[in-house]
Amino acid sequence: MAQAKKILAFVFLLLCGIAHAKELRVLMVLSDSTPLYLNFAKSFSQNLSTDIRFDLIQHAEDFNAQKTDLIVSVGVRAAYRVAEKTSQPLLAAMIPSKTYADLRTLKQGAISAIYLDQPWRRQANLLHVVLPERKRIGVLYSASLDIPAMRRELALYHDTLIARHLSGGDTLSADLDDVLVESDVLLAVPDNEIYNANSIRNILLSSYRRGIPLVGVSEAYVRAGALCAIFSTPEQLAVQAVSATITYARTGKLPEVQFPVQYSIAVNRTVARAFGLVIEPDDAILLQIRKLSGSLR
Amino acid sequence: MKSKYLAILCLACKAGHAADDVNESDYFQDFPVVLSSSRLSQPLSDAPNAMTVIDRKMIVASGFRTIADLMKLVPGMYVSYYKGSQPIVAYHGTTDEFSRRMQVLIDGRSVYMPPTGSVNWADLPITVDDIERIEVIRGPAAASYGANSTQGVISIITRDAGAMDGKSVSYTRGDKGINDVEARFGKRGDAYDYRMTLAYTADNGYDNLTTPPNGYTLATFKAPGLLNNSNDSNQARLFNYRGDYHPNGIDRYDIQFGFNHDVQGVGFSDKNPGPSNSYLGTNGDPFHNLISNSDFVQLGWVRQLEQGAELSLRYSHTRQDQSEALPVYLVGVYYPGPVVQSLQTSRDEIEVQHILPLTDTNRLVYGAAYQIDRAGGQSAMPPISLYYSSSYVYNEYRLFAHDEWRIAPKWLLNLGSMFEKNDLGQFNSSPRIALNYHVTPKQTLRMGVSVAYRTPSMAETSYPMIQPGALIIPAQTVNSPGLQPEKLVSHEIGYLGEFPDWASTVDLRLYRDQLSNGIYPSSTAKSFVNGMSGEYHGLEAAVKHEFDPDNSVTVNFAHAWAASNGVLLAAGGQKVMASSDPLNSDILGASIPQNSASLLYMLRLPLDYSFSTAAYYQSAMQPFDRGAIDYQPIQRRVDVRIARTFNVTAGVKGDVALVLQNLLNQAYTEYIASNLFNRRGYVMLTVNW
Repeated sequence: MAQAKKILAFVFLLLCGIAHAKELRVLMVLSDSTPLYLNFAKSFSQNLSTDIRFDLIQHAEDFNAQKTDLIVSVGVRAAYRVAEKTSQPLLAAMIPSKTYADLRTLKQGAISAIYLDQPWRRQANLLHVVLPERKRIGVLYSASLDIPAMRRELALYHDTLIARHLSGGDTLSADLDDVLVESDVLLAVPDNEIYNANSIRNILLSSYRRGIPLVGVSEAYVRAGALCAIFSTPEQLAVQAVSATITYARTGKLPEVQFPVQYSIAVNRTVARAFGLVIEPDDAILLQIRKLSGSLR
Repeated sequence: MKSKYLAILCLACKAGHAADDVNESDYFQDFPVVLSSSRLSQPLSDAPNAMTVIDRKMIVASGFRTIADLMKLVPGMYVSYYKGSQPIVAYHGTTDEFSRRMQVLIDGRSVYMPPTGSVNWADLPITVDDIERIEVIRGPAAASYGANSTQGVISIITRDAGAMDGKSVSYTRGDKGINDVEARFGKRGDAYDYRMTLAYTADNGYDNLTTPPNGYTLATFKAPGLLNNSNDSNQARLFNYRGDYHPNGIDRYDIQFGFNHDVQGVGFSDKNPGPSNSYLGTNGDPFHNLISNSDFVQLGWVRQLEQGAELSLRYSHTRQDQSEALPVYLVGVYYPGPVVQSLQTSRDEIEVQHILPLTDTNRLVYGAAYQIDRAGGQSAMPPISLYYSSSYVYNEYRLFAHDEWRIAPKWLLNLGSMFEKNDLGQFNSSPRIALNYHVTPKQTLRMGVSVAYRTPSMAETSYPMIQPGALIIPAQTVNSPGLQPEKLVSHEIGYLGEFPDWASTVDLRLYRDQLSNGIYPSSTAKSFVNGMSGEYHGLEAAVKHEFDPDNSVTVNFAHAWAASNGVLLAAGGQKVMASSDPLNSDILGASIPQNSASLLYMLRLPLDYSFSTAAYYQSAMQPFDRGAIDYQPIQRRVDVRIARTFNVTAGVKGDVALVLQNLLNQAYTEYIASNLFNRRGYVMLTVNW
């Protein structure tokens, strides 16, 4: 009897597994219906195999624990909405790594994530490849930041971290000056309090005046006047989310949380010239960063 | 039930917290373009000319109080003063007190003024502290900067409106009546930044020469009145304002205005008959004050276009009113205070420019400009029953185009030309071609050829026959109607090397400049004529070395020589073209210091101290339009600056600096033998908050 129960359970599991693999239903929940998220969704659906059913909710607020096999949320708002509403498995894509711990405490049931930010190691690699002679890396921040981790990664190349916490609401200029005085390069961190459309002007002008280039976190920074940036596009993250989905379809398990696998760089050549910097073509830089990532891992 | 509500509340808190915290919008937010083409300076290795950049760090370390003195840090630049209050800045040696062959710009606004076509350095409505950096193009750059850029361009870039957020007060006190007070304010806003400066600067110019320098007898120096002949104090009261309105990421508006009220001691005491001498000389320029009111307004608009293109429009109005009232001595007779002269000059300039990247490797800059120069002067000399007034308006139109083409990664071609048309009926085209070859990414060779013209100034076309006092007031009639522009053809080879392993850079330049149609005052025609020709050759070098980020040195060196047809002209009766130098019969050759050098060493010390020292050397020379007595001997000078920053209270920082000029007291005279420079020192105290 016990044997029969076991066999039955096995057949059931097998059937479930097959059903899982063949008819996985994925529900994507976007934080918003702006092109940023829609591009992600488009890229995701284009790369998805046909045996996975794909449904889309364009506004996080419209998610009300609809039944599905796997939920892929895009952005922080969607991730929180899903985490609050359901215990169904969640792949939180395109979220900053530091939001994950919080999200995890909130979420009942399986959860994993694809981060939006680049690991510190990769940033250190970029700095080393593009600006090998600039050893003092300045960082200004207002939210919490894993300073020891940054310091560790930079130390690999004998780079020093000059980190300053914003001391008050309207002290940006003074705090920035304090960082710039001691730095050879300013490394931007995603921090709206410091880097926003209003402040970017003074940050870029002040650093340029002192002959200090800014390394940004997106292509927009580079267009504005940052020297370079390493980042992942929504399309690249979507491809990674597809692989995670396929893994789930095959194994029924979510992969471990991941930093972006694919990434791009952008270099503002006009700014580089103005700083008198000789910088290799984008492809050559990417190749070197990949090599370093390999050898250092 | 209660706990459930709490949990929901807590969830809401968490969600709320997360939304305030970092999210993907921090990564994907959009920004305006800040560092656009016009904001960025061209790297030296891509420039079509040799260029020297004097940045804020060097400005501070030099210890200089005047803008003209900063030019001592440029290889081959001659800096002196006609009177202690009237700086002369000239490249390739001296011409006369009105150095006319250089373009000087402040934020793109040209400040060489009619009628003499020279720069009144003492009247500029900015202080040394208002300057962000100075870019000096060594060699003609008329293709980009138009008439007057025949020998070089000094481009002064003032601090951005947003460069300062706070207040600063400084006080300087020292020898020779040095007494400066300056207050500066600045505020950065989301859409509007501004800064302003209020300043008073004063000094007593040169030292008073009381005994003849070595080798001269008392009689030799007494006869031409070179002793006790230093009335050259200067007091300037100035104000300037700069605002930057940037309502969106696309448009930028620059608003500037300023004012300078300047009182200069001018004139000479020689030939003044007094109770103790019955000398029957004439002195039309005894000690008196020259009063000057200068102001300007500048409005600029820059629009950021697609693909890095940029459209800009700039309008400026510059005005200067000068006046003097002086007594004269005519053949031993003293006429108290009857001569009154005044001069009103102005310039209105409008320029439109389009920067257009054609491809990733080709960038075109083109535009047009229109300029109106006005000068009106009055002179009343009752003793000789002479009264006149003159008034001139000159229009000038310019079209320019400049293409920067990276033919291959190693080759950069700069091609450009300026077309100018003026009211004198002249049409000039000033082309330039320069090819930069990046031998390696850090080693660049540059070859360039350019043509530049200098439009005759009003004072040259309408030279005043009788000219008392310090002002030059054009004559009522154009007395040199056929005067042609001077032409300069320049060839140069340059090398720029960066040596990161030695933390050094090297900048070398070899040049040959040929001057034709040179304008000089004819002794026979009593007016300015064309006819001087000359050739300048030289080598310039600038080396920078950084021992460590807090410890660096810059060394500049220039070797130059020139030859002209001065001997021939002098033999033909042109006495002004005869050299006064017994060792060199060529007036042009004698007027150039053969060797000149400068060194600036900067060191940041512990405990917030900083130290800098500068050394200057200039070989002997004969100023172009001066007599043999004014022969300028070798000049050696060492300056030192020691400073310390300190915290007054939280948020209030102070800075105290001691500057000693000519530390070793190697007294020298320059331009005019009565211009004596001894050791002098001053202390500068600044408080920022």
